[in-house]
Amino acid sequence: MTGCRFGDRALADTRDGPILTAHRAGLIGCRGCGRVWPDAEETCARCGAALVPPDRRSLAAVWAWLLAGFIFYVPANLFPMLKTKTLGGLGGSSESTIFGGVIELLHYGNWFVAGVVFTASIIVPIGKFIAIAWLATVAGKPATVHDAHRRLLLYEVVEFIGRWSMIDVFVVAILSALVQLGFVASIHPGPAAVAFALSVAFTMLSAQSFDPRLIWRGLPLRNRKD
Amino acid sequence: MTDTPPPAGPETSLKPAEPLRRTSSARARAGFSLVWLVPILALAVTLAVGWNVVASRGTVISVDFTDATGITPGETLLKFREITVGKVESVRFTEDLKQVRVNMRVDKDLAPFIDDEAKFWIVRPEVSTQGISRLDTVLTGAFIEGYWDDQQTSREQDIFQGLEKPPLTSLGQKGTLIVIEADRSHGMTEGAPVLYRGIQVGQMQNLRLSENGEGVAADVFIAAPHDARLTTNTVFWDTSGFSISFGAQGIALNVNSLASVLQGGAEFATVTSGGEPVKNGHVFSLQPDEDTARANLFADNRNILRLNMHVDETVKGLETGANVQHMGVTVGRVSNIAARMVQGADGSQHILQEITLTLTPERIGLDGEITPERALEFAAEQVRQGLRARIASAGFFGTSLEVELVSLPDAPAAEIDLAAQPYPVIPSVPGEVSDFSETAQGFLSRVGQLPLEEALKSVTDMLNSVTAIASSEDTRAIPGALRSTLEDAKATSGEMRQIAAELRESGAAGQIRKMVDEAAAAAEAVKLAAADVPSMVEQIDKAAGKVGEVDFAAISTEAEGILKDLRAMIGSEDAEELPRNLSDTLQAASALLNELREGGAAGSLNAALASAKTAADDVSTSAQRLPQLSARLEALAARAESVIAAYGDRSAFNNESINLMREMRRAANAFGSLARTIERNPQAFILGR
Repeated sequence: MTGCRFGDRALADTRDGPILTAHRAGLIGCRGCGRVWPDAEETCARCGAALVPPDRRSLAAVWAWLLAGFIFYVPANLFPMLKTKTLGGLGGSSESTIFGGVIELLHYGNWFVAGVVFTASIIVPIGKFIAIAWLATVAGKPATVHDAHRRLLLYEVVEFIGRWSMIDVFVVAILSALVQLGFVASIHPGPAAVAFALSVAFTMLSAQSFDPRLIWRGLPLRNRKD
Repeated sequence: MTDTPPPAGPETSLKPAEPLRRTSSARARAGFSLVWLVPILALAVTLAVGWNVVASRGTVISVDFTDATGITPGETLLKFREITVGKVESVRFTEDLKQVRVNMRVDKDLAPFIDDEAKFWIVRPEVSTQGISRLDTVLTGAFIEGYWDDQQTSREQDIFQGLEKPPLTSLGQKGTLIVIEADRSHGMTEGAPVLYRGIQVGQMQNLRLSENGEGVAADVFIAAPHDARLTTNTVFWDTSGFSISFGAQGIALNVNSLASVLQGGAEFATVTSGGEPVKNGHVFSLQPDEDTARANLFADNRNILRLNMHVDETVKGLETGANVQHMGVTVGRVSNIAARMVQGADGSQHILQEITLTLTPERIGLDGEITPERALEFAAEQVRQGLRARIASAGFFGTSLEVELVSLPDAPAAEIDLAAQPYPVIPSVPGEVSDFSETAQGFLSRVGQLPLEEALKSVTDMLNSVTAIASSEDTRAIPGALRSTLEDAKATSGEMRQIAAELRESGAAGQIRKMVDEAAAAAEAVKLAAADVPSMVEQIDKAAGKVGEVDFAAISTEAEGILKDLRAMIGSEDAEELPRNLSDTLQAASALLNELREGGAAGSLNAALASAKTAADDVSTSAQRLPQLSARLEALAARAESVIAAYGDRSAFNNESINLMREMRRAANAFGSLARTIERNPQAFILGR
């Protein structure tokens, strides 16, 4: 059911009564390829992945990764992201944190770039933290079909966006690699770059650890229109 | 809740799946403990990194500056020996808004060394006529430099007062910091070398107006061990530029070295012994040249001996500051000249010049521990042995005066008047003033006073009388009278011949021979006497007159005896020659007189005398104009002296040349400094570092 389009599902949801989930059907879905197998199966015969029934206890991993990601997000914002040296440090040597960089960009009138950086580096990671935390909290809790669809949508957005959060790190990496003009100007990644990358990685792992099948566990047995 | 027993039937038939489910949950439980290590580790790492950062942040210190030109919070660095050891965090005002407080975070390692002796100053680019310094800061911006020693003291301090200027020399160097003062900044430039026997031992910095505004002052740091050469008796003089002196040896051009010409500078020497070591901040005065410096005896005022001398002659040309010489060595100065009313021995008042001499006892020959009392005692003893003060001439033309202390053992005994006020009075003797103008004037007035007119008059008179004699009738009559006399004599001789014949016959030959000898001597005398013609002529004339008047009869008896002798005499050849000689002489005299008369000798003599008189008149007129001439000569001498002075030290000429040189020196300095900077670090030219 993970492969279904959200729109179809929503239509089906409103059209039909209670949704038949794999769990209720005595089946277990493969997280690797999406094929369902009887509960008794331990290995997906199609892709070879282990078949693990959804368990709320697996949410602990989500929380753990999320926490690790959040912990690293703090130094990522406190430490400098970029160390810029121009003219061998004479023309100015600046260390800018993420937020400091945004302020600086705004100061120079680069609203667009500032907006991009602000979105990619601050809004998105924080949004991800909140989203994952919320998903982990509500996973398995009773929900309407509509709620369940919304959660799934959120989960997919988070997963999709996850890899793009690395855009900051990419920028730093590219700048560091390109702007090595020796004496004239040089850019080095700051400690925040590492922290940010780790933070993003951990957040992605956190999102990966989340079992979206749990979203469907809390569905009502009967279709209640509310 | 999802794991509640399943309601559907198929669940129960799948019992064997239970262990699997348990395995799943067990795996989840196992993952529980493992996965939680990640955030714990993350926390640990983050905390460690954070703690590390906070711990190594260093200490915050604050330095107050009057202004914070070029200081940017977060960028301006604190450097210690050109190594960055901190950074400015924030800049704010002090509570009274009079200063800027710069807060800096200093490396933890160095913070303990920053105690109350630490110094901070702002390093900015300096582009001045002296050169370009700290070119690197042009691009980097200013930075704060600090200096502290390696002593960790407990007197740590958080707030410091920043220096206005970089300190003189690299701190921590051992040496003595002294201050040089002068009237003008002549020879004093920032960085000008201070030499000792031509070796640079320090340099001038912080050139500024002195505190009382009466001169300029510069700090000089004399590094150890050279500072041991400094005593309170040390004198400094300006070695910059060159000097042209014009003296008895001609014009002398003194140039120390091209470097000193270009750079300026000062040199010092310790002329007299007995000074005490100087402490930091001792003030020396910079003398314009070495001679002045060596003659400057006021380095230590404590032992100065002040004496007065009283002079009743003119002191025109004696100025305050004139040297006091003793055996050719300058031992002091004239510090004051004043007129003073003095009660004479007879009760009358007269005015004396009171000259105050300021002497340095060391220079007179006193050594050992010198006190003013001992110096005075010494001087009194010297005076007892004949030391006297007198005015002497100085300067090229002798128009300026100085005071000389001379030993005159033959001088009348005198003592220093120790009771005199305000200073003891040293006895003086009349000066040896070889006043040029006076000498010239004296000579000319003496020439003028010569009795030329009288002399000429007497000469004229004499010549007039000679003319009168020569032209008188009496003189002309002389030859005639002579002729008659001779005729008489011839007649007489005829008689005499007869007498002689008789005598020969009488046989008195022996007596006659003796007589003849006598007569010969007489004739010789007569011959000699004939030289004195005029008187002879007169006498002869008189004698002739007397002969004419003689009563021959009365004396005939006597004459008979004489005639006898004469006869005998005339019988000799000598006697015969006498009249001829006489005649020749008279003829010559006559011829002379004739010539005199005919040749107008008297006229030419008159003319000669007339012209001599004119000449005398001229001389006389000249003599009258002599004072005027003398005044002009004196003016000329004064002008010559002022010309010489104009080529001397501090003259316009000299100053102009020196100013030119100074410009050159500055330019050279600027280039030198730039060149050094570039040489030391070529990048600095472009990038400042």
